[in-house]
This record gives sequence, C-alpha cells and structure tokens, in this order.
Amino acid sequence: MALRLRLRRGGPAGEAAGADVETLERRRLNLVLGLAVGLGLAPVLYLYLLLVLSSFSNTMLTSLPLPGSGVELTLRNWEMLFRGQVAPAAGKIYTTRDIVLIILNTLVVALGVTAVVVAASVMAGYAFSRLRFRWRRGLMEFIILLHAFPGVALIIAVYAVYVWSLGPVRELLGRDSLAAYSVFYTVLARASLEIPMSIWLMKGFFDRIPWEVEWSALIDGASRFTVWRRILLPQVKPGIAALAIFAFLAGWEDLIYVRVFLYPQVKTLATFIEESVAGLETAYLPVVAAAGTLYLIPTIVFFIATQRLLLEAMSGGVKG
Amino acid sequence: MPGRPRPGPAFFFLLPALALILVFYVVPLILSVYIGFTPLRDWNLQRLGELSLDNYRRLYHLVLHDPDLRKVVQTTIVFTSVTLAVNVLGGLVLALAMFFMDEWLSLPYRLLWLLPRMTPVAVYSLLWYYFFLPGREGILNSWLMSLGLIDEPRAWGKDPELLPYSAWAILVLVNGFVGVSFGMIVFYSALKSIPREQVIAARIDGASTLQLARHVLIPQIRWHIVYVTVWQLLSLLTTFAHIFLLVEWGTLDRAWGSNWALYVFNTAFLTQDQGFAAAAATVLVAVGVVLGLLALRLMRFREMMVEPKGEL
Repeated sequence: MALRLRLRRGGPAGEAAGADVETLERRRLNLVLGLAVGLGLAPVLYLYLLLVLSSFSNTMLTSLPLPGSGVELTLRNWEMLFRGQVAPAAGKIYTTRDIVLIILNTLVVALGVTAVVVAASVMAGYAFSRLRFRWRRGLMEFIILLHAFPGVALIIAVYAVYVWSLGPVRELLGRDSLAAYSVFYTVLARASLEIPMSIWLMKGFFDRIPWEVEWSALIDGASRFTVWRRILLPQVKPGIAALAIFAFLAGWEDLIYVRVFLYPQVKTLATFIEESVAGLETAYLPVVAAAGTLYLIPTIVFFIATQRLLLEAMSGGVKG
Repeated sequence: MPGRPRPGPAFFFLLPALALILVFYVVPLILSVYIGFTPLRDWNLQRLGELSLDNYRRLYHLVLHDPDLRKVVQTTIVFTSVTLAVNVLGGLVLALAMFFMDEWLSLPYRLLWLLPRMTPVAVYSLLWYYFFLPGREGILNSWLMSLGLIDEPRAWGKDPELLPYSAWAILVLVNGFVGVSFGMIVFYSALKSIPREQVIAARIDGASTLQLARHVLIPQIRWHIVYVTVWQLLSLLTTFAHIFLLVEWGTLDRAWGSNWALYVFNTAFLTQDQGFAAAAATVLVAVGVVLGLLALRLMRFREMMVEPKGEL
C-alpha cells in the first residue's frame, strides 16, 4: 500500500483537509460520516422545506405536496399577506396590518443596529489595536468579560432606565416623538449586546495591518484621526463588511428587545409573527408561513453569500 | 521614542463604545442588583426608595413552597444539564466527523448545522410550534398517526400524562439544534490546528479512526472542551428567547416549560413584579460574572493581548 505523505499545513482553513488521513479507506469513512451527520440534520431541514412550501399551499403541509395528495399550490397567501389580510375569516374582525410598513420597521431596527455597532467598534477597535493608554489592558479584559456576560439578564434595569428617560424626552420633544424614541432606544440597547464581541473582532482586523504604512504617514505629520480615516479604514473594509452583516442579522432577527422596548403599535416581522400565531386559528397559518418565509430571505441570502466568513467569525467566539 | 501616554486620541476613539457600555452594562448591572432590594411594581419608579430584603425572603419561600416555581427550578436544572451534555458531546462528535470528512463535504455540512443558529427566533419557533401542534395538523401527530403509532393526536408539550418529560425533551431538542453548532465550530478549528504529522504518524502506526480520535485528537483539545462547557453553561442558564414563544403560543406547559431566565423575564414584563424579578435575576447576574471570569481565564486572555506596535 502506497503511503502518500503530503504534509501540507497552514494555508486557508480546509485546503489541508484532503491531505492527511488517506492512508485508510477515506471514501468509506466519508460516506458513513456524511450519512450520519446528514441524517441528524435532515428532519430540521425538512421542517424548513415544509414551512416554505406551506406558504404556497392552501393548507399547512405535513408532508411533501406530491401530485395526488389533494394539495393545491397557490400564491394566495402571499397576496393576502401583502394586502394585510392575515385571516380571511368572515365574522371575525382582525386588524389589518401593513406588511410593507412592518418590513420597513424591521429594516430600520436592523440598519440602526448595524450603524451603531460599526461606528462604535471600528473606533474602539482601532484604539485597542494601535494606541497606548492607561487602562488599555484592564479595559480590554473588561470588554471580553462583558462578551461572556449575558447582557439579556440586565434587561429589567435597562428597561427601568428607559422608563426613567421617557419623562425628560416627553418634555423636550413632545408626546408624538415617543414612538420614534422607542425605536432609537431599541436600536441602542440591542446594538450594545453586540458591542463587546464586535470590538474584539475589529481589533483583530486592525492587528493584521502592518504598522509601517501608518508610521510613515504619522512621520509625515498626519494626525491620528487622518491616519485612521484615510489609511486604516480602507484596509479594514472586509472586516467592516463582516461586522456590518452580523450586526444587521442580529438586529433583523431580534425578538426580545423589539418586543420589550418598541411601542406596541410599531411591529416588526418578529412581533408580527408572534401576534399572528397567538391570535389565529390553525387554518390561516399558511399566511404566517408566508411571513416566516419572507423573514427568512435576508438571512438565507447572507448565509449563502458569506459562507467562509461566517464560519471564520463563528470560531472567533459567538454566544451559544 | 515611546512618549508619555496621551489620553487625547484614545479617549476620542473609545468614547462611543464606552458610553454604550456605561449606559447598557455598567449602570444596569448596579441598578439590577439595587432594584432587587426594592418593591418596584408596574415600573412605578417612585418605589425605588424603599429598601428591604423582602424579595429575597419571598424568593426563598417560593422556591421551597410554590409548586410552579419548584417546577421551574427542576426544569432549569434538567434543561441546563441535559442540553449542556448534548451540546458539548454533540459538538465534539460533529467536529470529529467534519474533521475526518473531505472538505467538499464538510464545508456545506458545517454551514447547514449553523442554519438553526442563524434563523430568526420567531421563524425557528414557528417551525417547532407547527411540528408539535396538538391537532391532526401537527407534523409530529400526522407522522405518528400515519405510521399507526398513536390513535389520537396529542398535545406533546402539555399533556399531563407526558409531563414533565415531554416538555423537557422539547426544550432540549429545540435548544440543542441551536447550541450544538457552537461546540462544533470551536472544536473543529481546534482540531484543524493540531499538527498533521501527529495524525499521520498515528495512522502509520495503525491507529483506527476511533483510536486516533480518543488517544490523539481529543486529549489535545481538552482545554477547548472545558472552555466550551463553561461558555455553554453560561449561555444555557440565561437563554430564553427560543423558549419564550413556544410557551406563549401554548406549545409548552408554562411551568414545566419555563427555565429560570424565562421566569425572570415573565415576572418582570408579564406579571409586572419587577422588584421580585430583579432579585431573581441577581442570581443569574452573579452566576454570569463568576462563569464569565472563568471563561476569560480559559481563553488565555493574556496571551492574546499583544502590546500595540509602535507609538510615536
């Protein structure tokens, strides 16, 4: 038996994988492990498939809509969703919901979280990577501790601060601005959950840039701020993109913060689904399935578009 | 020439992040412990002046005597420990499987296992809500009935005959699919960083796949296993987002389906008993600080923190 010892190490993760263990019957191992791992996940993937297909069906599906099963495929659920009729029932009055507005609300929260997270952590990441200041080590340690610390355990106190701030805001900006303020506060509170990890990630991206480039600019008399903006930011663009995607997804998917802090009239897709399932009879679930499918689309798009990035950032430590 | 530390630029760059951390971590951390000593109800902030140990006395009394809270405590213990075992061991098994697979197969698999984690909580809950639906429309009921295993559809998370085990099984299942990928990813990258020579040497010596995993691979990632265990324990004690909707939508029994964190949340925002809830949350906060410090030690923080290159 020929032992092919190809010692390839390093390089991008994964490329080395094909090289080593081939002294044994690799093909069979692949097959057995592949089947086992696939079978473990198959039921869950099947549930996703049923949800998506149900949004095109006249009833919630419990199996694939094969010909002859009597299931009718239709676009009616999507039509009803966009007309704001969540339930067609005569006799019962359901509030119509403007789904476009709901999507916009979800987007505003997601984009707001993205902006706050990116701005704050690009600045702080630079400071931790490049500047020497007194509490640097202690502060970084504290931020990592916060990353491990479950921010959601503090939500009662965060809400108490919110309640306390409502009075002054009403005085200053008037009663009509309170809904907008609730969006603002939700964004800040939700973004804060992401801040410790994002600073840590961003510091990593800055650490990779060679110091010499900046150094020559500083010698030429550029200020710290100019160096940061003109020289470093363009080089960490991939890092900023990664950060922005994760922050966007975090804001996009959030349920708890949106539910607690947003004015009840301001719905996002998460609270819309929550409300619909709680208030609907089972027969109208296909419309909710359509809303769920709609809600999934950005996640799936980013998921497919950023595969390697996702796996890399995850190994940097994400809450589990 | 290293000059004196200048507070100017650093302060400017840190300001936004520090302001957020101050308002959303530091102040709430102190405030949360403080509220635990007050009779705050219905967010009536005027009551923040009266301090007493009443909430803790009540908590102690209820844990001993209130049937619902006792159920919550049992659920928390069972849910946390079983899901922890599932997540760590499952993550290890998955990571080893991915490690032995070819890259073309392991990359899509690693991604797919991340899907539940990336899915919006509301959609993920919707999947399971519909899977465990009590009527004939429920996927599980429909499967089991067509196989002839049950005659009548059952309410899996609420049926008194099946409680508490069915509710616990659902909790572990729903959270396990989300949690297992964390261990998988961390262990996989740790396995990848083991020098390939060792794997090849063991292979040449005739080690089987299992022997290789047991005697060569797993011993080298034991610190990662400890780290993932601590991290997951912390997450599982404080997680409730994935349980929240299933309880609200009636898939799960409220008492047997709630963990401590969800109980805290519902006491604060549903029952509107914030002083008491904050006292119950303080327990979580304390656990969070202790386990967080432990996780920090395990991450070997000091080795990761290099001094900044050059300073003018």
